[in-house]
Amino acid sequence: MSVSNLLENWSKFRHTHPVDDKGHEDWEAYPSDIKWAMAIDLDACTGCNACSVACYAENNLAVVGKEKYAHGQEMHWMRIERYWGEENGEFHAEQGAQFLPMMCQQCEAAPCETVCPVGATNHTEDGLNSQIYNRCIGSRYCEANCPYKVRYFNWYNYPEQEGAWPSPMEQQLNPDLTVRTKGVMEKCTFCKQRTYVARNNARNEGREVADGEVQTACQQACPTGAISFGNLHDPASKVAKQWAQQGVDINKDKQDKDKEREKIEHQDKEPEKALRGYRILEELRPYPSVMYLERVRDESAV
Amino acid sequence: MHFSLRLFTLVAGLLLAAASHAADSAPKLTTPDDLGPEVTQPIEFPHFRHAGDEKDGGMQINCMYCHTYARRSMVAGIPPVQKCVGCHQNIPSVRETPRIKQLFDYYDNNKAIPWKKVHDIPDFVRFNHERHIKRFYFQQDRPYQEVCGYCHGDVKTMVVARRQKPLTMGWCANCHQKDHPVNATSTETGHGPNDCFTCHK
Amino acid sequence: MNENDFDRRDFLKVLGAGGTAVALSGCGYTSIEDGKETVTSYVTLPSYVIPGISNYFNSTCAQCEAGCNTMVRVREGRALKAEGNANSPINRGKMCGLGQAGVQAHYNPDRVQTPLLKGGKAISWGDALKEIEGRLSGVKGDEIAFVTGTTSGHAQALLGSYMEAVGSKNHFSYEAISPAVVRAANKKAYGVAMPRYRIDKAKVVVSFGADFLGAWVSPVYFSQQYAQFRKGNRPEGRGVLVQVEPKMTLTGANADRWLGIRPGTEGILALGLINALGSAGVKVPADISAAAKDYTPERVGTDTGVPFDQINKLAALLKERTPSLALAGTAAEGYAHGSQNALAIAMLNHVLGNVGKTVEAAAAVPFPQLAPVVGNRASLTALNDGLAANKYKVVFSYGTNPVYSAPAAMKFKDNFGKAGFRVAFAQYLDETALAADLVLPLDSAMEDWATMVPEYMAAPEGGYAEGYAQVSFRQPVMNRLYPDTRSIGDILLALLKQRKPEAYKGFDDFYAYLRGNVLEKKVAFGGSAKDDNDEFWNDVVGKGIVALKGVPGRLSPKPSVSGLALPAPATPDSAYPLRLIPAVSASMRDGRNANEPWLQESPDPLTTIVWDSWVEIHPKTAAKLDIVEGDIVEVASRSGSIKAQAYLFPGIHPDAVSVPVGYGHEAMGRYAKGVGANVFSMLDPVFDKETGELALNETAVKISKTGERVIIVKEEGPVGGSQAGRPRIAVKVPAGKVDLTKEV
Repeated sequence: MSVSNLLENWSKFRHTHPVDDKGHEDWEAYPSDIKWAMAIDLDACTGCNACSVACYAENNLAVVGKEKYAHGQEMHWMRIERYWGEENGEFHAEQGAQFLPMMCQQCEAAPCETVCPVGATNHTEDGLNSQIYNRCIGSRYCEANCPYKVRYFNWYNYPEQEGAWPSPMEQQLNPDLTVRTKGVMEKCTFCKQRTYVARNNARNEGREVADGEVQTACQQACPTGAISFGNLHDPASKVAKQWAQQGVDINKDKQDKDKEREKIEHQDKEPEKALRGYRILEELRPYPSVMYLERVRDESAV
Repeated sequence: MHFSLRLFTLVAGLLLAAASHAADSAPKLTTPDDLGPEVTQPIEFPHFRHAGDEKDGGMQINCMYCHTYARRSMVAGIPPVQKCVGCHQNIPSVRETPRIKQLFDYYDNNKAIPWKKVHDIPDFVRFNHERHIKRFYFQQDRPYQEVCGYCHGDVKTMVVARRQKPLTMGWCANCHQKDHPVNATSTETGHGPNDCFTCHK
Repeated sequence: MNENDFDRRDFLKVLGAGGTAVALSGCGYTSIEDGKETVTSYVTLPSYVIPGISNYFNSTCAQCEAGCNTMVRVREGRALKAEGNANSPINRGKMCGLGQAGVQAHYNPDRVQTPLLKGGKAISWGDALKEIEGRLSGVKGDEIAFVTGTTSGHAQALLGSYMEAVGSKNHFSYEAISPAVVRAANKKAYGVAMPRYRIDKAKVVVSFGADFLGAWVSPVYFSQQYAQFRKGNRPEGRGVLVQVEPKMTLTGANADRWLGIRPGTEGILALGLINALGSAGVKVPADISAAAKDYTPERVGTDTGVPFDQINKLAALLKERTPSLALAGTAAEGYAHGSQNALAIAMLNHVLGNVGKTVEAAAAVPFPQLAPVVGNRASLTALNDGLAANKYKVVFSYGTNPVYSAPAAMKFKDNFGKAGFRVAFAQYLDETALAADLVLPLDSAMEDWATMVPEYMAAPEGGYAEGYAQVSFRQPVMNRLYPDTRSIGDILLALLKQRKPEAYKGFDDFYAYLRGNVLEKKVAFGGSAKDDNDEFWNDVVGKGIVALKGVPGRLSPKPSVSGLALPAPATPDSAYPLRLIPAVSASMRDGRNANEPWLQESPDPLTTIVWDSWVEIHPKTAAKLDIVEGDIVEVASRSGSIKAQAYLFPGIHPDAVSVPVGYGHEAMGRYAKGVGANVFSMLDPVFDKETGELALNETAVKISKTGERVIIVKEEGPVGGSQAGRPRIAVKVPAGKVDLTKEV
């Protein structure tokens, strides 16, 4: 869009609610039946880091080295958080550890979008938070406002001054996306370059993107298949089926099943068996596009 | 693009936003200011001879005969030397001319020709040749010289290609905002994507 | 898109003209300068190459011995990313982080580029081969030794032929980390060294230190099985995983119950479970029953530190849910009595009736000369003894780094120096290559031709019964980055030509040998005699996997174990009161991939530490020693010591400390050198009594503070693994409280 277009229609590029706020009027002219979403099964996730390394390989992420890592300047779009069981302020390990793959949740009403002073991060018509590197001026407001802490800032000029890709390593760089320069913010894009190709192929053939046609790099690598990715608007897609089966609605800030459960618990009754789907920090109303499935642990062995 | 330039764009944008509205909406035609630099190529390739109209001594070869990847890929690509040789080995009349001798030198030594990029766009831009050709050449059935010319100008009149259009974002967006018929027969129109993420990577 | 149908060599020739000299994404990444950059251009281009669109070539991963089948993305002549080959029964389209980093082994800036003499003088290949020929003249066959990592396929066939040609039996296959003791125990207990484990069919898995999700045998394959095992809607129901090990591995972190057992008492717990099962009415064969009779839950509870009611509970679970599966892994085998530990654990499978159900015999490829020659640690001892006795005049080293990974107490480096002439085939100037007189640069796994036969023979769905076996093919996916590197196959062929010029003169290079050999055995390789040679070859290389009807393995009946006895748990040594557990992580393994920066930068899954070694200490032990996180501590054994940062870790037995292996390189490259400490160096030379394998967990250590303290560079925040009371971040629920049956 041109500068004038953006300035005039600024508010329309920010989402405050996935349903009530329809977004930019032009989206209808460029029709999209797509809402990219994910489901991550924490019971299947083993914390092996394959997704994270796959992301480095796919998305030209810079290796920053020990010193910068110590400063919190690492660039991993996909990270694995590790938690312990906790009791009386002590960690215990009898039921193992808990792993949580965390990347941009592509919120429908993203806190990062509303604070960007230059509109460098917007909502796209296929339901992503875009990060437009050449528009970004590096205010880092988005990073501060992101509740998931999944935005990464380029503190250095990695390709040229920091030698992050000493020759011939630069030959590995993925030509489908840029190498970000100093002073810009970056984050997970749900492998935009892959969805772009899939959508383009589908358009050329006059059809919709089929389920499974496009995989994100993390999903493709995951040895246990813990990650599903697809179009939430396609009821036949695996991801839509998972969301529906788990009773998680992207448009709600509190799921019906959780309200129901609280009601039962208030009555001191034993609730029925629950479903595992939940979204992290749902109560902050960012309407994230990633559903997690709770990790299950069998008590019979304890 | 460096930090200062981005900031400049922003500030300039804010100042000019209102004033430039009228100018923004009219499509910019090729002006001398938008011409790219003259590029010296390893072989001075005469586009007019190959693609030019017959009356101008050209052969009216379809652009996509040589730039064959344009309709199939993001990039148009440069034809492999073999493609040039494929025709030229059957054209003895020009076989001994300096440029063709140069061509065969490359071929015989199994060396690719180090063509220089004439239409450079920054790395953070995703331009898809295939998409544009599909839209205007195949769906809307416009003549290929016109379709390629939207961005490349009148290459059929040039010797070595030179950039004719500004290839700036505002210039792209101007066309994206316009309504174009969705195909040759329909009155239905549509315009290009207005979503930053489609073209920026 | 998979393009199979072409001749690979023509393809490479084509790209050779300009394919690799491309304008890179990283160069001029924000500039707009017409007429400065060069457009990617070609002399000729096959129709399947379209600039801007990737081609995918099937190949085989060389990052570890599991041998996953890959599909490498190639664009404009550059290998960009390795994905899993979806048709592979091993990894089924998936890839681990270590495998992903294979492209960094290829593009590594620290690769050896030309043959080098000691001191770094570059020489030509002709001179290098002449040098070897000269040094070999007059040397008897048994004075020549070849030390390698695990080898298989046609390179191994050539190596075998070479050893035969020079009249040497001294091929030492050495892997610093390998399940060698478990292999021997399996052979005894089941009749096969590496059976197929059916985790996907088991209802309960009791793993004694087998890190099958992390670094054990074939982790990507096991991860797929584990995903099946955990499905609530599986016919067998959701599986239960119990992990028994003194230091929590990645698998332990995923267990329903992690039992931090006293180091070395794994076999005692296995016999205790057998005893408890017998008491619960499970039929136990008389000899096993006799071996287990003294191991009452109370005694086992005292010996192992596992609460005795937990033992009864576990026995009840195993009795109720069959089939189950008991696995003996790295932690259980790393003792002087490692063989007995592993055998006792195998007996648990016999008692539970798992043998034949979740322990199956795998098939072998019908070509014995291609079968894997698997590495172990006993061969290093043998080599070292030979070197110490001045038995070897010429030593070749390939695919292994003994100067780095041999314990200092073995004095391997000094003994290696006693060999008259040492040749290292190497991709990096690692410790062994630096100690060599001649270094020959190897191709990366993206550049060479090879075949590989995995030791752990996975099978596709439904292929278990039919005796599935496979040979994996590796093909060059791009041109050599450096013109003077060679594949191991080419080098071995050149060496063979020095000995038997007549027999090998028909083969210009290893490619010709490989192709000729496969076509000669076309029928055995699954083709028919009528098949066109080119078509058949293209099909084989295009698929990257040749599925064969293998030679079926057979499980043997349960052997008599009347002699099975386990030593009482070791009493702590007052001078060295703690037990050192060298930890093998999924990405660092034995350290051969330490120079790939993605692996250094990706946090250790359990501690989240990057770019350094650490010492895992139980918080209670740390409190006793007044150690806090970040204290630089000295870990000292009788054989050596290292210094590293202390990390308080709940997943470790209080009497043990753990340090990861793979760090502390003195050479190799910019990303590996000087990062962390080498724990191999301080291991005590204690060996498994039956197999002679170095016992990795038998080192007694003491810990002292140095007074220095650092802030640990790690992914987890200062709260260190706490969810700080927030209710729904990483949620865990008891299995009984969720409905898993209708899940998609």
